[in-house]
Amino acid sequence: MNDLSTLITRLPNDVGGQPAGPLDRSEHELLPWEKRCHALADVLDFRKIINTEEKRRGVEALGSEQIGKLGYYERWIVAFANILFQKGLLTPAELAVRMQAVEERQRSSE
Amino acid sequence: MARDAERDGIFEVMETAVRELLTDKGLIAATDIRRQIEVLDSRSPALGAAVVARAWTDPAFKQRLLENGRMACEELGITFYDDTQLIVLENTNEVHNLVVCTLCSCYPRPVLGLPPDWYKLKPYRARAVYEPRQLLAEFGTVIPDDVEIRVSDSTAMVRFLILPQRPAGIDDLTTDQLAALVTRDAMIGVVRDLVPSGAVM
Repeated sequence: MNDLSTLITRLPNDVGGQPAGPLDRSEHELLPWEKRCHALADVLDFRKIINTEEKRRGVEALGSEQIGKLGYYERWIVAFANILFQKGLLTPAELAVRMQAVEERQRSSE
Repeated sequence: MARDAERDGIFEVMETAVRELLTDKGLIAATDIRRQIEVLDSRSPALGAAVVARAWTDPAFKQRLLENGRMACEELGITFYDDTQLIVLENTNEVHNLVVCTLCSCYPRPVLGLPPDWYKLKPYRARAVYEPRQLLAEFGTVIPDDVEIRVSDSTAMVRFLILPQRPAGIDDLTTDQLAALVTRDAMIGVVRDLVPSGAVM
């Protein structure tokens, strides 16, 4: 398949069977925020807010450019925000205001 | 992937903001995240290794494990904190099993903890299904040509754990000593032969 037909027949996560380079077997310990993000995913699942399939679909919906450029947990947290907007549980404005508050708090504690 | 403080900054801020907003709205409890981190920290390949060692030493347990992986693990006190089912696949002289998640990173977390980075990246996910022998060779695992490789693709609801073959010539070990031989990579299937402790590779 050429690149264009792959683009329209495969969602970005659907990589099984595609050509790919050599393995990189290096591993890293999760950063604290990454572990909190993982825990958040589990909590959103058992609180029946976002299940695993919705999370995967939310990552797909980021599109291939974001999927290619963002790291694993970076994709997750952006997908969670988008899904929460779609479900009407958060608004973009609320998130923007809170993110600014969090940043200011971080700056003042440095 | 290259990481720096500035890059992580915005995503960490977003994580904190989302968590706080969900808590303020009463959608999650303030203690939920801390409690789930404790659950995640309590899970490691040692749990899967204990399951494997028990299966090696208790044929009735092994049969129950192969029939219903989740129920057999729960019998050993391993709780499943999600809705996933567990299928345990047995390696034999004729068959080697390999686990992948082509769509993302589904993994038997309740019994193995979090997956390694390579399990979540494209080369492993893409290639496992069409050139498993070459892929395994990159792990230093050579599967003889007369051994069939079966690749199982995980889903949100169904996860897989490999039951490796018990190494020969270690009949005098206790179940705990046997468990110490069982590695994470063998339970994913990227390693086939377990090495008795003390042996030099």
